[in-house]
Amino acid sequence: MTSIGTGYDLANSIFSPDGRNFQVEYAVKAVENGGTSVGIRAKDGVVLAVEKVVTSKLLKPGANKRIATVDRHLGVVYSGMVPDGHHFVDRSRDEARSWRDTFKTPISTSDLASRMGGYLQAYTLYQSVRPFGITAIVGGFDSELEALVDGEVGSGPSVGAGGKVEGKHGGPGLYMIEPSGMYWGYYGAATGKGRQAAKAELEKLNLAEGKLDLQQAVKEAARIIYVAQQDNKDKEFELEMSWISSADGPTKGRHMEVPKDILAEAERLAKKAISEDDDEEEENKDEDKMEE
Amino acid sequence: MAMFSQNPIMNGPNYSFAEAPKAAMDGLREHRFNPYTDNGGSTLAIAGDGFAIMAGDTRLTSGYSINTRYAPKVFKIGGTTSSQDDANILLSVVGFAADGEALQERLDSVCKMYRYRHGKPMSVNACAKRLSTILYQKRFFPYYVYAILGGLDEEGKGAVYSYDPVGSYEREQCRAGGAAASLIMPFLDNQVNFKNQYVPGSGIGHELQERDRVPLPRDEVEILVKDAFDSAVERHIEVGDGLQMMIITKDGIEEKVLPLKKD
Amino acid sequence: MDHRPQAWGRPRDDVYGAYDASYMNTNLPNQHTQSPIVTGTSVVAMKFKDGVVMAADNLASYGSLARFTDVKRLRTFADTSVIGFGGDVSDMQYLDRHLTELGIDEAYQSDVGGHNLNARNLHKYLSKLLYHRRSKFDPLWNHLLVAGMDEDDKPFLAAADLLGTTFTSPSLSTGFGSMLAQPIMRKYVPDEASVENITKEKAVEVIKECMKVLFYRDARSMDKYSLAIVTKDGVELSENKLENQSWAFADRIKGYGTQTV
Repeated sequence: MTSIGTGYDLANSIFSPDGRNFQVEYAVKAVENGGTSVGIRAKDGVVLAVEKVVTSKLLKPGANKRIATVDRHLGVVYSGMVPDGHHFVDRSRDEARSWRDTFKTPISTSDLASRMGGYLQAYTLYQSVRPFGITAIVGGFDSELEALVDGEVGSGPSVGAGGKVEGKHGGPGLYMIEPSGMYWGYYGAATGKGRQAAKAELEKLNLAEGKLDLQQAVKEAARIIYVAQQDNKDKEFELEMSWISSADGPTKGRHMEVPKDILAEAERLAKKAISEDDDEEEENKDEDKMEE
Repeated sequence: MAMFSQNPIMNGPNYSFAEAPKAAMDGLREHRFNPYTDNGGSTLAIAGDGFAIMAGDTRLTSGYSINTRYAPKVFKIGGTTSSQDDANILLSVVGFAADGEALQERLDSVCKMYRYRHGKPMSVNACAKRLSTILYQKRFFPYYVYAILGGLDEEGKGAVYSYDPVGSYEREQCRAGGAAASLIMPFLDNQVNFKNQYVPGSGIGHELQERDRVPLPRDEVEILVKDAFDSAVERHIEVGDGLQMMIITKDGIEEKVLPLKKD
Repeated sequence: MDHRPQAWGRPRDDVYGAYDASYMNTNLPNQHTQSPIVTGTSVVAMKFKDGVVMAADNLASYGSLARFTDVKRLRTFADTSVIGFGGDVSDMQYLDRHLTELGIDEAYQSDVGGHNLNARNLHKYLSKLLYHRRSKFDPLWNHLLVAGMDEDDKPFLAAADLLGTTFTSPSLSTGFGSMLAQPIMRKYVPDEASVENITKEKAVEVIKECMKVLFYRDARSMDKYSLAIVTKDGVELSENKLENQSWAFADRIKGYGTQTV
């Protein structure tokens, strides 16, 4: 790498002459080695999925969750350095709580992404700290119902001062926050080792059209994790998935684990899909041989 | 005359507002909140030769209302399981129920800690001293509770310790506590300690001999407890519903719940 | 003319001399009155064989003024328990926020080990909170009923008041209800054993009867109320109104107030 030996990569807060912060770029490298994370914003909810690499046979299956709940309606998944991710989650929870304390209402997905983006960015500015070695995907569902106020006990006036605001608001939200602090909203987000393959698959889903529903998105997310994992098949992994729907959907507006049966079905379909791909490849090879 | 002028005078006049400071500056606060209440009920404990019986009614009241007909007042203390099967001490509390529960939980955790640290259960007389300390530590905001502690002493004899709310205590043969204490205690003096009982025909005046005090057998004591409560129920409105009895012997603790009148 | 409205009608210092406020100065400590301000009246609840039914009306009174008429005094926790609040409404809102936070914190863990506070745990938590606050001489002026299922999926119902006093019973009621509703409920569930004979429909019927009696006899009550049914399958919360009211008996009541005949 060009940075090595120049001294410009030794600390945050020092730019290289061509305007780069090498510490941040190294942090991105840490992310690129982590298990793949995927988020899909479907028309009626959000799915988060992660390829959890099994680093030891002594680990209990299903334990050591990688997807965390931040507030009732918010979930976070990340790729990269797991301890950094834990701190990211802790901070997210603090932000969500302090928002509730101040405004008596849940934080929106975009506001949380903004707060956390700002937080990560601050870790690129100072000599004494290093950037986060994670890229986090934040998924949420902001209530489409009238915004609830914590501690509110009545329905309030139906018209006039303090009356209800008409019009649609809320809905699913998906954001990805990088070590630089940069964050953008996405229809589909992927990070970690298999991100290239995952992104390619996500693009095929045409998520911007808003046709994919949550149930389909669960299956697609599972499949994409399996596809992205194809390049290092030898490594064992667990698929972990969570989802968030609207108040009238399966999770009632809450972030929760995808139920075992739905997860198992999605995994079954995912395995089938990739084995079919393999078969096709095999067939193609055979055909190639035939032609020879 | 200035006072009839239509125009306000510069720098005056001033008008008086009754804005005396309403609060003292020293930061002291007076509260109009009474942190205590009396939840009624009565307890009773009698020590025998190789046993001790602790009893209490199960009524819990607020004023003239019965909050519940089943709120136990006698607890096993210092066991290691949630069922408290291996406990070796009994505690009864009566007075302010919230303080009673707090005291019970605190003594229980103290005894548990002792047991885990020393690998043996606390002796009854050690626990009795400890309970006194706990009560006295809150001397200026007392647990409004009349506590009685029961168990078997080092010789295997029944032991009963009774307390006032600020930790003054003594070991006794028997004690009644709570709402009907003044009804039950004289009965116990006569029936357990044989007060005012004399040997017939033993003499006149100072020659008259007191009846010999002998420890009562368990079945007789159980009947005594039931009789004491049946009588208290008749005369005290805060006592009734159920009679909870715990009998501790060398074989462990036995619990009985008998019905009392619910009126 | 002094243009400050505050000065209008006040004694002028140049005529009467400055107001002598000294007599109002006391050397007493701050009087920090603590009493409930806006209050909710009774909460009633009883067990049935598969769960618990609870109800509380939607009125929040300011003294004798019916101040707020759309106040929901039953709150669900984690979709498994219900808490009914009697007493001060602002303290209820404080507790509501506190419970929201607690619920969120619990949910962090729930997907890990399936941990969740059941109704018994919740009742213990709240009663400790209330006892702690009374011990600080800063009570939360509420009387709570907590309903749900316990660790064995058996119906659970318990009360906790502002002093931290706790008790449990097959039927419970706060405030006026302890005099008016409790005797009605005790007819059906005098003891734990009798709970087995009560169906959900019967319990709802009894609770509705209690709400009727309370509406007719408790001056700080109203005819709209929330009703919750808790079973192991979750909580059903509904809003109800007392229909078919009859006040025909009213003109036959004699001997109250200034009425002498």
